[in-house]
Amino acid sequence: MSSYQESEHFAEDFREALEDLQVNNRYDIQNLTMIARENTEHALAIAQTLQNHIKRVAAHKKLPSLYVLDSIIKNVGTPYTLFFGKRLFETYMESYASVDMATRRKMDEMLKTWKEPIPGSIDTRPVFPPDVTRPIENALIKARTSAMQAQQQHYRNEQQLLGRGRPMPPQQPPVPYRETPTPPNVRPSSQASGYPGNHANGAGPYGPPAHAPGQYPQHQNIPMPTRSTPQPGASTPAFQPPYPGGYGMPQPGISVDALNNDIQQLIAAFKAEFARGPHDPSIQTRLKALLDLQSILQTQNLPQDQLVLIKNRIAELAVTIRATPAQTPTPVPIAPAVAVAPPPSAPPAAPKVSIDSLLGSGALAALLARSSATPQASTPQPPPATMAVRSPQPQRVELPKPSAPATPAPSDALSLMEMLRKAGMIPPPSTGPAGSSLPPPNQAPPMSLPFSLPLLAATGPPTVEHMTSDITFTTHSLKQLRPQLIPFLFDSLGTPCTQCGRRFKNDADGKKKKTAHMDWHFKVNQRIAEADKAGQNRGWLVDEQDWLNTRETIDVIGGVPTAQSNATQGGVCPICQEKFKQVYLDEEWVWEDALEVGDRIYHASCHREATGGSSSVVAAAVKYGGGGSRGTPEPVLGKRKAEDDLTSLRAGKLKMEA
Amino acid sequence: MSIPGLGYIAPAPPPGSAAAAAALVETTTVKLQPFWEYRFEVPAATTLTVRLVSGTAEKDGTELAPHTPYVFTRVKSKINTWQTCELEVTSPNPDAYHAYTATPATPDATSLVSYLNLHMKLEGLRAAVQRTIENKNKNNNNAVGMGPRVLVCGPAGSGKTSLARTLAGWATRMGGQPMVVNTDPTHGMLALPGTLSAAVFATIMDVTAEWGGTPSSGPTAIPVKLPLSYLFGLRAPRENPKLYRALVSRLAVATTSRLADDPDVRRAGMLIDTGDLGHSGAAEDGDGDGNTNTSGYDMLAHVASEFSANIFVVLGSDSMTADLTRRFAGQKTTLGEDIAVVGLGRSDGAVERDAAFMQSVTEATIKEYFFGDVRRNLSPHTQQVPFDAVTIWKVVEDSTNVSSDEDFYDPAASDSSLERVEPSLAMSSCILAVVYAGIHDDPDTIRDANIMGYVWVAGVDEAKRKLKLTAPVPTRLGDRPMVLGNYPEPVIGLTG
Repeated sequence: MSSYQESEHFAEDFREALEDLQVNNRYDIQNLTMIARENTEHALAIAQTLQNHIKRVAAHKKLPSLYVLDSIIKNVGTPYTLFFGKRLFETYMESYASVDMATRRKMDEMLKTWKEPIPGSIDTRPVFPPDVTRPIENALIKARTSAMQAQQQHYRNEQQLLGRGRPMPPQQPPVPYRETPTPPNVRPSSQASGYPGNHANGAGPYGPPAHAPGQYPQHQNIPMPTRSTPQPGASTPAFQPPYPGGYGMPQPGISVDALNNDIQQLIAAFKAEFARGPHDPSIQTRLKALLDLQSILQTQNLPQDQLVLIKNRIAELAVTIRATPAQTPTPVPIAPAVAVAPPPSAPPAAPKVSIDSLLGSGALAALLARSSATPQASTPQPPPATMAVRSPQPQRVELPKPSAPATPAPSDALSLMEMLRKAGMIPPPSTGPAGSSLPPPNQAPPMSLPFSLPLLAATGPPTVEHMTSDITFTTHSLKQLRPQLIPFLFDSLGTPCTQCGRRFKNDADGKKKKTAHMDWHFKVNQRIAEADKAGQNRGWLVDEQDWLNTRETIDVIGGVPTAQSNATQGGVCPICQEKFKQVYLDEEWVWEDALEVGDRIYHASCHREATGGSSSVVAAAVKYGGGGSRGTPEPVLGKRKAEDDLTSLRAGKLKMEA
Repeated sequence: MSIPGLGYIAPAPPPGSAAAAAALVETTTVKLQPFWEYRFEVPAATTLTVRLVSGTAEKDGTELAPHTPYVFTRVKSKINTWQTCELEVTSPNPDAYHAYTATPATPDATSLVSYLNLHMKLEGLRAAVQRTIENKNKNNNNAVGMGPRVLVCGPAGSGKTSLARTLAGWATRMGGQPMVVNTDPTHGMLALPGTLSAAVFATIMDVTAEWGGTPSSGPTAIPVKLPLSYLFGLRAPRENPKLYRALVSRLAVATTSRLADDPDVRRAGMLIDTGDLGHSGAAEDGDGDGNTNTSGYDMLAHVASEFSANIFVVLGSDSMTADLTRRFAGQKTTLGEDIAVVGLGRSDGAVERDAAFMQSVTEATIKEYFFGDVRRNLSPHTQQVPFDAVTIWKVVEDSTNVSSDEDFYDPAASDSSLERVEPSLAMSSCILAVVYAGIHDDPDTIRDANIMGYVWVAGVDEAKRKLKLTAPVPTRLGDRPMVLGNYPEPVIGLTG
């Protein structure tokens, strides 16, 4: 609720920022990309906002906005790839239709880059999976061809006029197949080639309407804006037949390959989430489910319509990956998947259970029933040529079989659809927004939560800013108890340090900080014991200038005293020419992350890079640094003990003499 | 342990009495329900050890670590819980301390609820600032976003310092680095009384101390906070308004610069504890100055405008809230923000700390500065210095107030703030502040210089013209000017 509003606010802000984008300004585009990168919890809202914006703006502003999309895809990637991919055809083609030739060329160039890996990236996959870009290409080729024909036949002499963009009489449909458009959702299984299935069968918010966006008419009398306009209004299936064999395969509507990629991405994302919150059972179950699903995909040749379903589900799941784990105190039903598992079949139940948790109760049963009922024999060779074969894990597929009989095996795809629908895996065909098509919670509790969250409830954790917006600086307002605020000081901060009570989050970052913090405690305690023998005294305070330059350090010990070579080196590292960060540690001023070699002082990290980490000084320093477990060595930490051995580390000596 | 030249004896009980004391130790268990408070007053003569057995508990916004003993002495304070907790309380002398559990009927009635709301609202503002800074940076504009500057004011004993500390504790806990400013010379923050100071709080605070001590050599289990402090040397701002205003301005310049350069601090903003500015004038004897109350408000206004405070929190005085609302509400700070004034009741459990108690706290603070405490022994250094080798200035009282409606400009401060004095017998047992200035600098420079540390005059030999000075560090004194104030008062028994 609150976070949904927050997401809306955010989308609103983002939209305003987009509206300020008038021209192709690299800086602004980078800026918007940064916003998208830092707010992946609002990814869905951002993607929707951007695509709506592209749709709405005037033709001359479309390209900058498309470049924003391009930049986000290339610089951020998941989950935006999935969100944008859904409506990319529509977004792209519509823009293409309305812009001028110069812009089209730019768009062509952009599309070309989408089919290639991101330059400089180690990821060899294309920016968008082929099943997203291919329909666009097909449409463009088709449109160009027919436009050219039309041009040759009818408009040879009227080029100037057309060039000005005068609306054309709907002389001839550019695509001959348009007389027989197939309403996508009527008989999904009848679609011989299913690219559009991706869009048409979409279970998500873009389901049926995506196919007939209100903005352009569905029928033949589409005004052609300019002469070589590809005809975006044509429904995609129409483009298919001319190029059935063009891509080698018997043309599966959804490339298993791409699906595998998506799943792979999701698995990676879930693994990251899992690393952050290893105690969250829902992540665990979903991760496991994904792995199982992956192995099924790799080992079995599923029929097209099921791939479509899986794909849509995957796309939606990508929404949750960002949103769900961020939920702070949301009472996630613990391991509900187990609850819905059918009682029999003890060990084989495991994979089934998790797939249930992913796709909804009974879904796997349906899938398996389907695959066992239909094509096993007809397609005995699972991996077609294009399919990436990833060390199949064949046996697992068989495991869940016991549960298959639980659902009557459907005899054809239609009844499968029906069954999946009943199982809550796909929404009834008539409903538009995904929100209204939630599976009944009692059937698939783990599903209902993640799917409802991004769209209805929350795309991120409630923020303090939002939760306190009702507080005003009046006595009355301040006196009201708001119990919802109390957890911000306790549980949402993580668990407390046993020594000092400071709290650390339980995610990966918090764990890292806690490790550093415990190291700090350990070293300090050690040094307190040493110092007790040595005798201590109160130090002088620092002067104003030093105080101004101080930055608070948290859990840091170590550095090079600043006193001795401020003058010689001007306080900069000879390698990177950047100033040292000056901090006050214990009784003295030190430069943080500094390492003294000979009579010069470097950033320890710079020096390590420059010397390839092979320097004996560094090695020794790290060794004496004591930490060892941390990435950054604290070279001078051990200077008191180590100075006899490390003559090159003069810092300690100088300090002792001082 | 005996320190050469000082004869300081650590109060180690003879071995025999330890067993006897152990027999007397009484352990009680205190169970607190949500919003309850355990309030205690522990005199200097005894200690109170509190251990959190279960649940969560905090003192002034800083959470108690589980199962860690915290030893309190010479303190009137409280431990509260938001959830529930069980405390194990031990004292070697159960009759000497006074403690009770406050059990409010409804949570809404507790002042901590107001404080929590206040803090959370501040966090909300800080989050908004963070966003502004990020957006501005991206657009390459100068980031102007600045966290809230909260001015805490109210009459003495209304819980101002507790509130400031609580807000600082919570902010730190949530990862913020607030600048805490103390403009109340009657007590010091990370410094001796008579000092105005500021420090960034980025790490957990010492639960058992007011603010924690000043930095010392060697490691400490509680990370040190580094204060910037200026000597006022008098107890009340009205004893020398000119000096007070000048030092406030000085402190404001420094803290504002720090905020400008340090984004972490800028985001968290400032928490300003003001002492009883604006209120004391009317309450106290008023030395012929008819409109002290107004002038008190003038000084408060000066503090507020110097630090660009945009949120005024008035504790425990409806009339003051009304006055300040009339005067400030709806106005804008120098940064163009609206000023909000909100009145809250006196802190629950806030106790008047009488003069004797304060005096004892001051003496203990000074003792702790030189010698450390039970957790850590410090070794100060005493040396003989000829009269001629030191430069001593004295803060003078000057209650002539400057008019409120002219900006403070002080072309002739040299004849009113500091005067050069010769060492004399009267300086015995006094505290001198060593400041970061040169011995030949003019009085204004010395007045504006921040404090390096303090020395204690252990003895004056007028015949031999020699001073015996106890300094925290064994260094040459005399290179820096020293400033003598009237406050804190001479501490006679420091080494005894």
